[in-house]
Amino acid sequence: MQLDQDQNWEKRMADIETKISSTPLIVEEPGLNTTQPQRKWKTGGIPLAFVLVLGLLGLLAWGLKKAQAGPVDSGLAPDFSLTGFDGRTVTLSELRGQVVIINFWASWCPPCREEAAYLEQTWRKYKDRGVVFIGVDYVDTDKEALAYIQEFDITYINGPDIGTRISQAYNIKGVPETFYVDKKGQLRGVHIGPLKAPELDQKIEELLAEPDPGN
Amino acid sequence: MISEIGLIALSIAFLFSVYGTIGSAYGGLRNRPAWVESSRNASLLVFPLLSLSVLVVVYNLYVLDLSQAYVADVASRAMSTFLRVTALWGGQQGSILFWAWIMSGFVAIVLLRKWERDRELIPYVIAVSMLTTTFFVGVVVFITNPFARLWHVPGAADLTTSVFQPINAMPYIPEDGQGLNPLLRHFGMIGHPPTTYIGFTGFVIPFAFAMAALITGKSQEDEWIRTSRRWTLVAWIFLTIGLILGGRWAYDVLGWGGFWGWDPVENAMFMPWLTGTAFLHSVMMTEKRGMLKRWNMVLIILTYALTVFGTFITRTGVISSVHAFSKSALGPAFFIFIGLTFIGSLSLLFSRWDALKTEHQLESFFSREAAFVLQNMLFLAITFAVFWGTVFPLLSELFTGTKITVGPPYFQKVTGPLFFALVLLMGIAPLFAWRKQAAHSLGRAMLLPLAASLGITAIWGYSHRMHPAPIFGLWLVSFVLLTILTEFWKGVRARMQGRGENLFLALSRLIGRNHRRYGGYVIHLGVVMIALGVIGDAYFKQETQGTLTAGQSLTVAGYSLRFEGLNSYPGTDGREVIEADTTLFQNGQAVRQLKPRRDFFIVQEQPVTVPAVYATAGTDVYILLLGWQDDGRSATFKIYINSLINWVWAGGVIMMLGTLVAAWPPRDGQKETTYQLRPQVFGPQPSTGD
Repeated sequence: MQLDQDQNWEKRMADIETKISSTPLIVEEPGLNTTQPQRKWKTGGIPLAFVLVLGLLGLLAWGLKKAQAGPVDSGLAPDFSLTGFDGRTVTLSELRGQVVIINFWASWCPPCREEAAYLEQTWRKYKDRGVVFIGVDYVDTDKEALAYIQEFDITYINGPDIGTRISQAYNIKGVPETFYVDKKGQLRGVHIGPLKAPELDQKIEELLAEPDPGN
Repeated sequence: MISEIGLIALSIAFLFSVYGTIGSAYGGLRNRPAWVESSRNASLLVFPLLSLSVLVVVYNLYVLDLSQAYVADVASRAMSTFLRVTALWGGQQGSILFWAWIMSGFVAIVLLRKWERDRELIPYVIAVSMLTTTFFVGVVVFITNPFARLWHVPGAADLTTSVFQPINAMPYIPEDGQGLNPLLRHFGMIGHPPTTYIGFTGFVIPFAFAMAALITGKSQEDEWIRTSRRWTLVAWIFLTIGLILGGRWAYDVLGWGGFWGWDPVENAMFMPWLTGTAFLHSVMMTEKRGMLKRWNMVLIILTYALTVFGTFITRTGVISSVHAFSKSALGPAFFIFIGLTFIGSLSLLFSRWDALKTEHQLESFFSREAAFVLQNMLFLAITFAVFWGTVFPLLSELFTGTKITVGPPYFQKVTGPLFFALVLLMGIAPLFAWRKQAAHSLGRAMLLPLAASLGITAIWGYSHRMHPAPIFGLWLVSFVLLTILTEFWKGVRARMQGRGENLFLALSRLIGRNHRRYGGYVIHLGVVMIALGVIGDAYFKQETQGTLTAGQSLTVAGYSLRFEGLNSYPGTDGREVIEADTTLFQNGQAVRQLKPRRDFFIVQEQPVTVPAVYATAGTDVYILLLGWQDDGRSATFKIYINSLINWVWAGGVIMMLGTLVAAWPPRDGQKETTYQLRPQVFGPQPSTGD
């Protein structure tokens, strides 16, 4: 009995305390709080909230449709955007209709030096014939990479692979590696190790000879 | 035979989930307690049934039953038993089963506790949580069944994966499995998925209570919010651990010297964490002041929606990312689920909008309430910035035809200042009183930490003249740290003087008396430590690289790395290890032999760079072996000097401890009502105890 009473007393005290402390300084009638602005917010807000949610769902549906439409065949080259050291940006999926050569390299990589001049020379030879070269700089420091680009007078776009995302998407095993992408955006082979003349010319000629898609 | 048992258990679990969902909703709407009781029992059984399925998959992985497509996909002979078992969550099929299993476990725990208090809510709590569980179990049964086998249909070029035998097909058993993705063979990756899944699925419980409160019209009462707060805390801490383990994994395995890359999958985890954190704070406003009821409802719905959204974008490849999960039939199913969740919860919320009125208005902009509102706005702003950056590639492609991916610089620039403000608020806000704060007492409380932190920063800034941003950051960290420690000190001193307790007794009693408050402060301490680590990562990182022949050295920031030679040997789990012997010198003195490695996984033809790390309290020397030439006579290294990075991991541990303190159940007689508003407790002057 005594215990029960004690507990009741404690509870009562707590209740009283709650009541006292949660009473607003200015006593208001309950219900007076429904102010006009909240109403207005509500009537305008609900359709807006639904429009936003439906918009997001639409966006996701569209993205999903695209993600599912791609061929399950791993032949489609993984898309990426690369921002070059010179500030230019290139996105692989925008280059449909052109032959793309993706070269992974690094300034610390001696074999890369062996192929650098040949790459640049080939690029100059084909750049007006619908061929794009992209240099992806793998785990490097900007200063040394820029010195390397200057040393070999490289004029095609080169940029750092931030967070090694592109390297992972292409699952590279080391540098240098060169991937060939055809006019349809399909991967058409990879060359591991430094390129030597006339491998690259032959591959480019082969891919250029194929018909243009979609036109 | 064993697999059939797993498949049957899985199928029954699906039927029970469907029954639990429909039966409880019917029982609730028509007020038939027998239906609710029966649905509850069915729902309770889903957990043991799924446990059985999980056990069967684990057993199949353990014995390497290669007739199972899933086993052949993620396990191989070369993998150790431990890795094979953890491959349960290494692939799509297994991880969704695992997901469904954890979710059913959460539901079971909720249903096993006393539910007298929530009698009216429970039917809908069952219905909502079981609807979600039904979806995941359904996906496991119909779309990504882990018990599917490999079949060879005569004439077909590829193998068929199917649960049942296709016509004319012959069973196919490969010689060996593919094996787990080498990048996932790391302790961070072994612990990261389960904790993340527990965090993600855990949010279904507060969401279910919120929905039940809306359906029953009990949403203006506080009962649901108390229950939701606890469950949110449970989900939140697991999500926190998952985030930190994921960061640790990226740091150790991905080999770019950092721990957070603002990748869509990371963002997908981070967004519900942000809104969940906002909810854990704003819920106090509802508990103590009856304010922000609508807002809390919005936050809970948002948090849950973001977990679903995160799962959707990572599982369906809508936004491409490093974590490429394979394309599958999951997409459309997930889309329907996500649509139902979004529209259903939004409609319910608006139907009860008027009932969720606030009990008090904001009295002063100089109050604890206002600080909470500001804090919530900051969290939401960060969430929105992260969300925008995450969906931007999709938006840009829709409107311009070009997929523009925003990189880490965007996230850093946009969220950096917001995080700065948030950490600052974290230091000041606990000093504010509820309702109204007098300016002079606030100034008095802040004076000492402010002066001390400015002093420290001035000395430090004078000796290291550099960019002002890190100096500002260090001031912030020291200021917030000092305010938190001052709070502890004031409480402890009051007890020591008032009761004659010694330091440790006073500290433990202080925390014990108000574990929610002081647990929160401990979590804040952890956040400050992580902030310090992030500042170090952003401003004090140094790096260098070079090709060395044996005996040559590479020097950076007082450290020098000497290359001794290269070895190669066959390692465990089917890898060939190429290892460099190096010696690290600090100011001319040899401090450690280090062996950075590159492991080639032969079956997967995949290299994994394993950094060698020399860790001290202040700095990590992080060394990568990038390549080698001339048959190993020379090798190329990259060295990162990662200052302060260990504070991130240490801060994570402190946050876990703080959560344990904060979530500790109140002692007998210390009822929740004692948390009701008492300005003198929460004001700048600490109470002397009870």
